[in-house]
Amino acid sequence: MQNQIAQLREEIEREIAAVTNQQQLEEFRIKFLSRKGLIASLFDNLRNVPGVDKPIVGKQLNELRQRAQSVLDEKILQLKSKPKSAEHLDLTLPGRRKFRGTKHPLMQTLDEIKSIFVGMGFGIADGPEIEDDWHNFSALNFAPDHPARDMQDTFFVKGDILLRTHTSPVQIRIMENNKPPIRTIMPGRVYRNEAVSSRSLCNFYQVEGLAVDKGITFSELKGTLLSFARQFYGKDIKYRFRPSFFPFTEPSAEMDITCFICKGKGCRMCKQSGWLEILGCGMVDPNVFTSVGYDPEQYTGYAFGMGIERTAALLYGVDDIRLFYENDVRFLRQF
Amino acid sequence: MQLSHNWLQHYIKFKFTPEELSEKLTMLGLEVESYERLGEKYNGFVVGKVLETEKHPNADKLTVCKVDVGKETLQIVCGAPNVAAGQTVAVGIAGAVVPKNQHDPNGKPFTLSNVKLRGVDSFGMICSQYELDLGTDKDGILILDSKAKVGQSLASYLGLDDIVYEIGITPNRPDLLSHFGVAREIGILVKKQPSLPKVRLKESKTPISKLFSVKVIDKVNCPRFAVRMIRGVKIAPSPEWLQKALQSVGLRPRNNVVDVTNYVMYECGHPMHAFDYANLKGKKIVVRQAGLDSESRSRKKFVTLDGKEHELAADVVMVCDGEREVSVAGIMGGENSEISDSTTDIVLEAAYWNPSSIRRTAKALGIQSDASYRFERGADPNAPLYALDRAAQLILELAGGELLKGRIDIYPKKIKEKIVSVRTSRCNEVLGTSLTTPHVTDLLRRLEIKKVKGSKDVTFFSVPTYRVDLDREIDLIEEVARVFGYNNIESKTISSIDFDHPFGKEILSDRIREKLVGFGYQEALSISLQSEATAKLGSPTPIALLNPLGQEMSTMRTTLIPGLLEAAARNQSYGSNDLQLFEIGHVFSESAEGQLVGSVMEEERMVLLVSGQIEPGYWQGEPRKANIFFLKGEVSDLLDACGLDSWRFIYYSTSETLADNPIFVEINGSSAGFLGKVKEDVCKMFGFEGDAFVAELKLPLLESQRVKEYKTLPRFPVVRRDVAFVVDAAVSAEAIEQCMKGGGSSLLRAVDVFDVYAGPNLPDGKKSVAFTLSLLSDEKTLMEQEIETEVRRIVKRVEQQLGAELRSN
Repeated sequence: MQNQIAQLREEIEREIAAVTNQQQLEEFRIKFLSRKGLIASLFDNLRNVPGVDKPIVGKQLNELRQRAQSVLDEKILQLKSKPKSAEHLDLTLPGRRKFRGTKHPLMQTLDEIKSIFVGMGFGIADGPEIEDDWHNFSALNFAPDHPARDMQDTFFVKGDILLRTHTSPVQIRIMENNKPPIRTIMPGRVYRNEAVSSRSLCNFYQVEGLAVDKGITFSELKGTLLSFARQFYGKDIKYRFRPSFFPFTEPSAEMDITCFICKGKGCRMCKQSGWLEILGCGMVDPNVFTSVGYDPEQYTGYAFGMGIERTAALLYGVDDIRLFYENDVRFLRQF
Repeated sequence: MQLSHNWLQHYIKFKFTPEELSEKLTMLGLEVESYERLGEKYNGFVVGKVLETEKHPNADKLTVCKVDVGKETLQIVCGAPNVAAGQTVAVGIAGAVVPKNQHDPNGKPFTLSNVKLRGVDSFGMICSQYELDLGTDKDGILILDSKAKVGQSLASYLGLDDIVYEIGITPNRPDLLSHFGVAREIGILVKKQPSLPKVRLKESKTPISKLFSVKVIDKVNCPRFAVRMIRGVKIAPSPEWLQKALQSVGLRPRNNVVDVTNYVMYECGHPMHAFDYANLKGKKIVVRQAGLDSESRSRKKFVTLDGKEHELAADVVMVCDGEREVSVAGIMGGENSEISDSTTDIVLEAAYWNPSSIRRTAKALGIQSDASYRFERGADPNAPLYALDRAAQLILELAGGELLKGRIDIYPKKIKEKIVSVRTSRCNEVLGTSLTTPHVTDLLRRLEIKKVKGSKDVTFFSVPTYRVDLDREIDLIEEVARVFGYNNIESKTISSIDFDHPFGKEILSDRIREKLVGFGYQEALSISLQSEATAKLGSPTPIALLNPLGQEMSTMRTTLIPGLLEAAARNQSYGSNDLQLFEIGHVFSESAEGQLVGSVMEEERMVLLVSGQIEPGYWQGEPRKANIFFLKGEVSDLLDACGLDSWRFIYYSTSETLADNPIFVEINGSSAGFLGKVKEDVCKMFGFEGDAFVAELKLPLLESQRVKEYKTLPRFPVVRRDVAFVVDAAVSAEAIEQCMKGGGSSLLRAVDVFDVYAGPNLPDGKKSVAFTLSLLSDEKTLMEQEIETEVRRIVKRVEQQLGAELRSN
């Protein structure tokens, strides 16, 4: 009897190991654990065992049945965790996709610029693209008949209505409607009457900045823009401010950083100079304050502006800015 | 503007390399855009002498030459028919780049190397005029002056050892539009004052007033007019030094008199003009406005010396003789009085003109000349006399003649140096510096801006009249900063930052953009300028430009849809057919008065365009194609995602210029836009093939006004029941839905279509529409009987009102 038990134990271990599917599992259960199974038949034979041995053999039989049940349970779990017909499921097939949307590279660039200035405490404002002469020129200290107006080839609509040539008129609108302190950036689309080429377009995006308060200095303008440039272009850039001219700022400056493509050695992108011009800036001209009814003796301020197409072209190495307006999805999906 | 390195050295000595000078001028605000070493392209070319020649042993047309190039004698094989011993020639040595290849159809440059020609070594090349890019002659080698020094560089033989700078001069600095003007700035760098050549003139005994007179009638536009006169000049080509000087700054030499006036302008900055005295009728000059033709009362015609005829507005300021106009004042002389080869007596003019008058006239006549460029920016009213004298001196040297005694100088109101005060405290307030008054005074003194008087904080300075840009304290503060050096001003951030973003920190368009990108759309940006025909698709009253780039870009966009259609067509042509595009931007049209700017209606909109498949291909099942219901679903999702209070679709049976069967969108009671399938002929207009579905909405209406507020969640389960009706095909799903909602009590919470069917098993002209009703009570779990009653009431109403029949199976 005890031999039979030992044999059966071996058989159970051997067969359970061979079970790989539900059918074999069921066969195993019927063979060993069903009411007419092998274990049950051994229990039936228990009455033929001598009385002394009965408790021991009975105990061994119980253990055998428990063992059979536990390997069966284990196998059930094991098989459950395996998918059905695992051998036919090709997991290398691609997943079900959706089309991926992308933000326009110019807007991505603008977003990055906006988030830096918002982080420094700037608000965001906008204004109309069709403007009048007052906001686009006169209030910004462009004298009538002054050649400075030629710096920005203008599209005219009629009378004194024109397409804004820069985002600076938003400065005027903000100041006309608010009292200092002011600290805001003004992104938007602007227009220049220039033939379309790989380097110029008749419309493009700019972002303008304005801060007005008591005690704002050129030194602070430099500090703010330096902080921006370090966040946007990298901590290690070298920079310089050089004198320039804009009618609405004085002193006026342009900010250059070392060319991040050639590291200042000189390349096509920086026209061999080693420097990249990234923005124009300056202290708000007192005449501009007078235009909007601020007292220039009380307040000082700074303004700055940069072109988004140029910035994005530099960042992504795009050599023809017309690509930004062709809306070729093969281009758009690269960003 | 182009400036010559050698020419600058006439007025101030400096030892900067071109790199250094470019950098330093740029840092002073004179942006050096580039510079060119004129002789650079002749590196490796020298003057040589042909010592002996012999015929090539293996080629009839080749000659083997021995050429002395100074340091050595080279054997060179030459193919030119005219080569001969004793000639002085231009020799290119291995490594030199020949500017133009005679054997290349495009004349591309090539690099010389030592070669064997038909078995004979050749160590260089004797060049033709064409090869050196000095002219068109290809037929033989260029023969140089026999006295030229053998071995010297070709560049120096040609006088090309100069450097030309291209400098961007900002419009506020007309004083920099000459060599002397830039020399002043170099003076700041080397801490020296530049100086103009001293002029000593020998005048004849005859006073100018005997032979000539000047009368200025328009005194407002002509504050100063001065002349000198020279008799008996001999017009001839200018000497080489003068021709080269003018060529180096991009001017074409003409004759000795005209060249001198140009030279003086590029020297001291003051434009001049020379008249042929013989052609000045009445022997006088009158400065007056053109007026109208006395007979026809129409505009006078005038031919400028470039041969172009202009019509003169009556108020154009003209320089005239006793009878007629002879020059457009300060802009360009007339053909009728220009210097010609037969001219012997000349009148030299140096005047000062009102800048805005010059600019208006130059714009109106479409002329931009060196003179108008300077006068419209502002010349120095006190420069004319020097310019006259200097020009007279040079003309006497180069063309001979007799300088009449004295000048005529009509200058009734002398323009004096401006006095401008600067507060040192203000200077520091603006710049963030801590400069002292002596320091400020010293910085300005280097610009010849001199202290007149001053107390502790306030100093009065006198500003030279050539600095037309300096009127106010802030102007001088900028000059202080410039000379001090922008980069010597510390960068700091100290002011109190306000953290409350008073103008908002997030823009609606940015939020919509994020959502649409999440929906799987590509953002596009289109040019805002379109053809009139395109613009009329969106509005009958588009806004046209007065000065467009062309017909195709003459009008402001009235809708964003054409931009995306154009983009879609372009993508189709590249094989990208499955498109989900969006754009956010402004559109414009003419509208009633009372807008922000004139009568311009400007509005921010967003547009969606879908075409082709709406999902990438997949290995199970057919990919879905875009249709109106897909787009309608997208718009619904977007509007829900915006958290709007209320919005709905409206189905008018009107037509849109752009779309068939448009569906209109209303948000919070305002009409917000529409969606639909683009009309076939519109698609065709943009070269798009197939079906495109578009939605255009007014962006500001997508701003949610809703206050977010928590409502208690229902405590009891929702119950769903499906019902299907058979109705006439013309009855809309919306009508059935409305009818059901009308019949239901407060228990009915939602009605959703889940199936629409027409076909076999249904009579012709009928369809079946199936709905799921969601029922819910706030008070209790609904009993079967209550549900039954509610559903029956709803069904009955639909049956009665719409003639519907409940579908049993």
